[in-house]
Amino acid sequence: MNRKTICVLCIAIFGCGHFLYAQTKKPAPFSVSGTAGVSYEGYGLHRNPSGWTGYQPRKPWNQVRFNFTPTFKLGKNFSLPFNFNFAAIPTNFAGPFAGIKKPSFGQFITNPMNSFGLNPKYKWAELQLGTQYLKYSDLSTGDIGVFGIGFDLRPKTLLFKFFTGISQQGINYVAGPPTVVGAYKRRNWMAQIGTEKEGKYLFALNIAKGKDVPTSSAPPPVTIRPQEGLVISVVSDLYMDKGFYFKAEGAQSIFTKDVATPLTLLLKGLKPFIEAHTSTITDYAAQAAVGKKSKNFDIGVMVKYLGAGFQTIGYPFLQSDRLDYTVNNRINAWKNKMNIVATLGQRINNVSNTALKAKQFIGNLNWFTQFNDKFSLNVNYNNFGFQTASGINPFGIKNVSNDLGINPTVTWTGKKIIHLISMSYNYSKYDERDVITGLTTSNNTHTTLLTYVPTYLEKEISPDFSILYFYNDVPGAKIALATISSALSMQVAKKKLRLRGQLQYTLGKLNSFSNSNNLIASCNIDFKLTKKLNWSTFLTTNYFKYGNEIIPNGANYVETTCRTGFQYRFNTKK
Amino acid sequence: MKKIFSLLISACIFSTGIAQLNISLIVNGQPPAQLSEWGNRREVLTLIVSAPGVIGESFKLKTEIKLIDGTVIATTDLAKSPVFIPSTTGTTILVANDVMPLEYMVFTGKYKTSLERTGKMPADNYTICTKPVRTTDYGPMGEMKCKNFYLATTQLPILMKPYNEEVLDAKKAQTAIIFRWSPVVPRQISPVTYRIQVFEVLPTQSPVQALRSNQPVLDKEILAATQYIWQPQLSFSWIGPDEDLGYVISENKSKIKEQSMRFIWTVQSLDKDHNPVTRTDGNGEGRSEPILFFVSIKNPMLLK
Repeated sequence: MNRKTICVLCIAIFGCGHFLYAQTKKPAPFSVSGTAGVSYEGYGLHRNPSGWTGYQPRKPWNQVRFNFTPTFKLGKNFSLPFNFNFAAIPTNFAGPFAGIKKPSFGQFITNPMNSFGLNPKYKWAELQLGTQYLKYSDLSTGDIGVFGIGFDLRPKTLLFKFFTGISQQGINYVAGPPTVVGAYKRRNWMAQIGTEKEGKYLFALNIAKGKDVPTSSAPPPVTIRPQEGLVISVVSDLYMDKGFYFKAEGAQSIFTKDVATPLTLLLKGLKPFIEAHTSTITDYAAQAAVGKKSKNFDIGVMVKYLGAGFQTIGYPFLQSDRLDYTVNNRINAWKNKMNIVATLGQRINNVSNTALKAKQFIGNLNWFTQFNDKFSLNVNYNNFGFQTASGINPFGIKNVSNDLGINPTVTWTGKKIIHLISMSYNYSKYDERDVITGLTTSNNTHTTLLTYVPTYLEKEISPDFSILYFYNDVPGAKIALATISSALSMQVAKKKLRLRGQLQYTLGKLNSFSNSNNLIASCNIDFKLTKKLNWSTFLTTNYFKYGNEIIPNGANYVETTCRTGFQYRFNTKK
Repeated sequence: MKKIFSLLISACIFSTGIAQLNISLIVNGQPPAQLSEWGNRREVLTLIVSAPGVIGESFKLKTEIKLIDGTVIATTDLAKSPVFIPSTTGTTILVANDVMPLEYMVFTGKYKTSLERTGKMPADNYTICTKPVRTTDYGPMGEMKCKNFYLATTQLPILMKPYNEEVLDAKKAQTAIIFRWSPVVPRQISPVTYRIQVFEVLPTQSPVQALRSNQPVLDKEILAATQYIWQPQLSFSWIGPDEDLGYVISENKSKIKEQSMRFIWTVQSLDKDHNPVTRTDGNGEGRSEPILFFVSIKNPMLLK
């Protein structure tokens, strides 16, 4: 972010403060809502025998998180929401900040683990300052937080949005260990113009751009190239009478995968927004949904196409080159006692034929029936199949996953206790074809769970008990797990203190190896210190001892986690 | 007569010395599908040009890309392509950007369209041929050398189970969660290592924000298999008041307010050297599009 932008940001912040001060002189109603808090998380791992590293830590040893998210309201028309959420220690494992340990101030501000946002709003005009996660549409921008400045204006039915800032700072490559992949500083711009009437229609034109600064890191990343991308999309939503709706979006992206490649006239750019390099690609995407919603019946059809070269800075993990179409259905019947939700569809990958086309079948069904006050049944079925040729191999790839679940629940009421018994059985079958031999390997999993929950009508305690058996069978490996667990919740000290404890023991067996043992104990303490101040603590410990399937025999570890934090709830409505 | 014959032979040798360059072309049999990426990797294409006894004669390279049946689909625009001068040491080493400069390559028909849209050519077997030519009349200065290669886009795994926004029961999830994904396509020469990662999404975070900032609660490498049974060894519980950390995830199950912890998971596909199988598509990290799953915590207190 350049000096000009910082100056504008400062003026805007102080301007807002002055405006707020000026407004407080008037006898306008003032209120504050939202929360503020601080929490600490500590993690411990003790491995046996000493020096064995077969199990790795999975949380930061220490972490402190802060949140400050009040909304100040002055009168009917002015509000000032804060969104400050940040942590003391960077823990990035994926994405451009992965591996960073000692960030600079700029890197700290733009790290996705931290948000510093301020959105003063007066009537239909909103100023957007600091970190903003703005979703303009499904195909333009939405997943990336940008630190910068912008506005969102909605006079009557019109829409004018603009935002510019930095989504990541330059990060130098470090060979390590530990390796820091590094990143280029990325500037972002986005704008939307359109018209909207909430619940009726939306028609908007979106434009979003991101550009890396090639000189922003030294040494630069080895495996990442400086990129530049632009996407233009037109989105329209229409909500009609009787629950009918129609939504559509069409988008074109122009994306340069390496701005260091030479400029060319042979490919398409879009001056003055983006120039074509030899690594520039241009492609399209579109999606549409049409359907009807009502109290007891929903039906909808959704189609989504992402061209092979469609790429947008705003959705960095989007997998393109695919065509999805699904039919979704929901039915409420039998005086709302029966609920059916179903999805049927197909996904085609590599539509562009730049590789081998792959087809996936998608089928989900969830059927819930409340037969009477005492008995209900839930049945669900999921199918997910993947099929494609496999190049020079004699057989194509074919993976099919089938899951069936049956879950009856019985409840009855005694004089002092409501009893609930829930039984659940799941069968999961996963077939995988070997591309060389053509043989299909079946992987079968059975899971059975029995839960009993007595609810005391006159006491403030709620225990629950459950027993689970899990069995997975695949040629060469058989895994069996048996779990018993129990939990107890209670409220004491005039309901100011809420406690919940849980104990779980799992006995595991892999093939003919000796048993593994796992014990988990956890405790939640939620203490209402005052009407506005809460102190919450969560303690858990996990002991795991392997069977003799690994070396050294008898290896085990103990993990402990402690989360504790204070949360203050603003509530000054006068 | 002998003198004339000697002069003719000498002239012939001399002229051959000027016109002839020896070239040797080395091409990776399965180069990156993204053609612009060829220039970033020296191992993809190397052309060794040697000029025996002759120094200073400049030349251009006429390169063609053909289908296996010989149909030419791309050729160098010699009017614009760069000029090379053989090294004083007698050997010049050129790479992909020199032999096949994309800014001066003219593609035809659907190959041009495909390159504009995707930066790639359709999956197929191709032949690349190149020869040195004079800068003046583009006459040959050496033999044409050809090499075959196969292009196919690497398709990252699609996450299958838990499917997007699937709600798992906490009691079952505390014992085991099954993860499944499709394999990398096409089948790679060496087995792919799938690095499965699961990230907890904190209440103040968006899913992708959590993926980009949190330490994963599961970070496991699986060799060549597309299923993993995870024993989370986590207590799926929450801290603080219900309204702070609860997510009402199903309007139709309002009898019991369901609370859920959110997790986002992805698979990173790595080659035998532990590098992402593809660096040119999407995020460049070889990570599949992540999806979300919930672990539902039914608080018995709320039954009242």
